[in-house]
Amino acid sequence: MRNDIAIVGVGQTRPVRRADRDIRALVVEAIQLALDDAGIDASEVDGIISDGVIMPASVPRDYVAAQFGIARRFDGGMSYGGAGSACAPMLARMALEAGQADVVVYYFGVDWGSRESGPYGFHNIYPAKMAFEKPVGFSGQPSYFALWARRYMHEYGLTEDDLAAIATAQRESAIRNGHAQLQKPLSVADYHASRMISDPLRAADCCLITDGAAAFVMTRMDRARDCRRRPVRVLGCGFGSEALSGDDSFTQKPKQLTIPGAREACGRALGEAGIGLDAVDFSEIYDCFTISCLMQVEDLGFCAKGEAGPFIRERGIGVDGKLPVNTHGGLLAHSYLLGAEHVVEAVRQLRGEAGDAQVKDAEVGLVTGLSVPDYGVLVLGR
Amino acid sequence: MAKETKAGFRGHFDHLSAGELAFPFCEECGRWHWYPMPLCPHCRSSRLSWRPVSGTGEIWSWTVVRHAFDASHRDKLPYVVALVCFEEAPGIRLVANVEAASPDELRIGMPVELVPPVPGEPAQHAAFRPVRPTQLA
Repeated sequence: MRNDIAIVGVGQTRPVRRADRDIRALVVEAIQLALDDAGIDASEVDGIISDGVIMPASVPRDYVAAQFGIARRFDGGMSYGGAGSACAPMLARMALEAGQADVVVYYFGVDWGSRESGPYGFHNIYPAKMAFEKPVGFSGQPSYFALWARRYMHEYGLTEDDLAAIATAQRESAIRNGHAQLQKPLSVADYHASRMISDPLRAADCCLITDGAAAFVMTRMDRARDCRRRPVRVLGCGFGSEALSGDDSFTQKPKQLTIPGAREACGRALGEAGIGLDAVDFSEIYDCFTISCLMQVEDLGFCAKGEAGPFIRERGIGVDGKLPVNTHGGLLAHSYLLGAEHVVEAVRQLRGEAGDAQVKDAEVGLVTGLSVPDYGVLVLGR
Repeated sequence: MAKETKAGFRGHFDHLSAGELAFPFCEECGRWHWYPMPLCPHCRSSRLSWRPVSGTGEIWSWTVVRHAFDASHRDKLPYVVALVCFEEAPGIRLVANVEAASPDELRIGMPVELVPPVPGEPAQHAAFRPVRPTQLA
């Protein structure tokens, strides 16, 4: 088992649709919160990591270095969004084990709540999507996943109530969390009354839109033991992908309803940890949509392909269920920081700090990041 | 088609102007790919050509877009976007609008045909319509 690095501090800004500060100020706040949480001064930080695509274009690592007075010895980023957050400990571990850094900070944030194009402008970086998809009105992430959802319904008999089970359970967890962006209860009837966005996906199937940032601090276990809070160990970290570009990933995947990277990344992460899925006490699964959360439950290996609908309903994914998933409400109800908040939540669960949303006796947590076709899995332990 | 369309994409639109639907085909390994790439993603050959298909395909999946993700489509709501696949060109899925009398008539697996371009006007993007039973041989 490789457990020689730990997450020692986490920070997240209060999730809101529109913040009164710009994205750089939000990132700075999140990093300061994470450093304070760890009891580590910025002068000790010598490595900075972000995701590989979104942060470099909005809050680059050199900006963070300048703000916190960090002369970097290590600098890196991989994938984009969620997979970048879940795999940050993979990069950090390489640097920490090699002695190329002693304290590494990871950060991620978005201001898609206050940007005019919202989350929908992100895919403008892909030339074939711009030439062939945007002109016919196929440019919103809900439409991408709507195609998958309808096909999934056709092949496996998935019902709207299966999707409602995910949305309603996560909303309850968000309310128990107390700091989530959505605090209004969601019944199954409310789900069915929710506005249709891109058939068959309703507003209640879609993640939030948020202005906010999250950050976490990583170091080797010898230093971690002297930090302010109980260290949360990185038990394993895995990455997987397919030979597809961002242009192709939502329409040309050979198997549209399977995410091969999920199984591969999960196998690698659990292999490093030396445990199986049965040892996982809770999971923070990248829930950009109800349908994508459901598909990952299968692709990670919790159940067979096509069985996640009934599986989730039977087990229950609430905090007190047999398969707790997205214990803070997830991207559907807590915030949409593309999964950076999933890492923060997993750390808080493993420290026993989750309050009313605490999973009893939580010892091992799984965090996933879906950045189609990339996938990251992080296994954390108490 | 916008003037700034990348050279590697132009063949598709040139064929559309002539009323044809064409995709990149590898002369080396005999397989199709989409989107256009400089090399065949299956065998890495650069011997690629634009090969027309009949224009009749079937709906792999579809959605009715009811939210203006982009301001340019606000006045078109609601509209149908489908992934259309073609028996002649395995593996390709084309994102396209489907002109249906009502979304209620759409089904996965439904045969659709290319809407012919208006003569004298430059072709925009491939659009499809359900193949009517009377048109089925």
